[in-house]
Amino acid sequence: MISVRNLTKRFGDVLAVHDVTFDVADGEVMGFLGPNGAGKSTTIRILTGYIPATSGTVEIAGRDAFTHSLEIRQHLGYLPENVPLYPEMRVEEYLRFRARLKGVTAKETRGHVERAMDQCGLAHMRRRIVGQLSKGYRQRVGLADALVARPRLLILDEPTGGLDPHQRKEVLELIKGLAHEHTVLLSSHVLAEIESISTRVMIIQRGRLLASGKVDELAERLQEAPRVRLEAKGRRDALLAALAPVARECAGSPEVFELRDGWLQVTLQPPSGRDLREPLAERLRAAAIPLRELSRQAFTLEELFLRITAQAAQRTGDTPSSAGPNVPGASAPVPLPATAADTKAAAP
Amino acid sequence: MLRQFAILLAREVESLFLSPLNYAVITIALVFNGWSFYYALQGAQGNVEGAVRFFFGQSPLVWLVIVLVPPLLTMRLFAEERRSGTLEMLLTAPVSEVEVVLAKFGAGLAFYFAVWLPSLLYIAIVKSYGAIPDAGPLATSYLGIFLVGALFTAAGLFASSLTSTQILAALLGTVFNLMLLVIPLASQWLQVERIERLFSELWILRHFVDSFSKGVLDSAHLGFYVVLTAVLLFWTVRSLESQRWR
Repeated sequence: MISVRNLTKRFGDVLAVHDVTFDVADGEVMGFLGPNGAGKSTTIRILTGYIPATSGTVEIAGRDAFTHSLEIRQHLGYLPENVPLYPEMRVEEYLRFRARLKGVTAKETRGHVERAMDQCGLAHMRRRIVGQLSKGYRQRVGLADALVARPRLLILDEPTGGLDPHQRKEVLELIKGLAHEHTVLLSSHVLAEIESISTRVMIIQRGRLLASGKVDELAERLQEAPRVRLEAKGRRDALLAALAPVARECAGSPEVFELRDGWLQVTLQPPSGRDLREPLAERLRAAAIPLRELSRQAFTLEELFLRITAQAAQRTGDTPSSAGPNVPGASAPVPLPATAADTKAAAP
Repeated sequence: MLRQFAILLAREVESLFLSPLNYAVITIALVFNGWSFYYALQGAQGNVEGAVRFFFGQSPLVWLVIVLVPPLLTMRLFAEERRSGTLEMLLTAPVSEVEVVLAKFGAGLAFYFAVWLPSLLYIAIVKSYGAIPDAGPLATSYLGIFLVGALFTAAGLFASSLTSTQILAALLGTVFNLMLLVIPLASQWLQVERIERLFSELWILRHFVDSFSKGVLDSAHLGFYVVLTAVLLFWTVRSLESQRWR
């Protein structure tokens, strides 16, 4: 559906997107992940034909995104980042206008609008003025707008941005439900969101594509296991001595952090593919050291980026600290390290 | 093409008629027009044709309406869409820039004409007192009002496409309109005949008083308005397109 080759975008001296190449197949849900300012929105705006690329090609359904823009826009549902809507219009009126504008015939408009409002839970808000809606409902109107002409491709820029956790969950559920009917590209800076609904994920930072791959494939190809964190009570040396046989298997030395009331927090980096929680619990029980928490720590997005950039830098013999935009190897997509969800196993 | 234009036009007209600010503009315009008409009648002392000619083309207050109303109506048309980001929604829908510009232009012009509709009442009032103004000059006067309105609406639209600040757009449009009115006067001080002649061709006020309000339809004057309006609309389309390249 989408085919992007060597896409580069400059704004004056600023290199917003650098040599990005990726494909999105029909029916796929592609997650586009990156911190704010990484170039997600710029890439998306090029895909929608809103701005042209400096170099490189973008094809959507086999047609060039800029020269055949009008044609492509008929099959495209786009939700911009800040969900711009006409504030003076009513929900239903706005959706009717957008449906008609996108080429839905007068006869079909009612059905299309009703369906989009149903899908987005807007039916009871149809008479409300858009400008007076809450952020969550505005987001839904934006989504309904993207959906209303029943496009083949949905491009959603930060669809959960600015929502509270409850609304966020609702919107994600909604997008998940849409995946059956549309090819979806959605961006986010929250890893867990993307992971839960995407079939594939791309990571972009400072305009470069750092990693891409199928979520489950990536999970299998874990290069590093998630870290293990435990909280135990006792003296530092006694604790470390008890853990030593297991800790030897780990990369680096355990990080120890003192908590209140004599509790210590220890973080270990187990080798790839090994779950050390059981042997650790075993060791502590044998040494009669009280344990109150034992959990696997998922990487935060920032940690993930640091790891990927560091890996990319190491390949080219650079130090991780200089893994900035000028590292040549950083543009080569590398497999994604562990992104396991938090799997807490609290001990009594 | 035409369908999309019609849908956009309907929305733009609705949006203009829903804006409270535009009713303030209409109200002030009506007060100015009414005042002008009152003085025109008083000053004309029974000469109805003279009064009508004064009203269309010579009254400073009426010119204030002609110069100020279009920029105030058009200032938000693009500036507001840019500021709120809805321009992105609009331009990623399957519509061309030409359609968008023409729809906004058409809506602005329709509203501008709505400002002038009540002036038909003045004609009715004059008639009810038994004086019958000549239909020819009246028709050309309204055509003139319409053509100047189209030109100034296009100028205001162009100004609005350049900025995301409404007030700045209104200011730019007004300055442009005033320049078209005033530069020919200023050029007379230069005492260079060629420049003077060139600029007197650009003198909208003179065209108006010379021909439209006298009932004369000069194809050169007609062409002048139409071409200048088309050029400004073309620039607006280009300005919109250039947003994408910035």
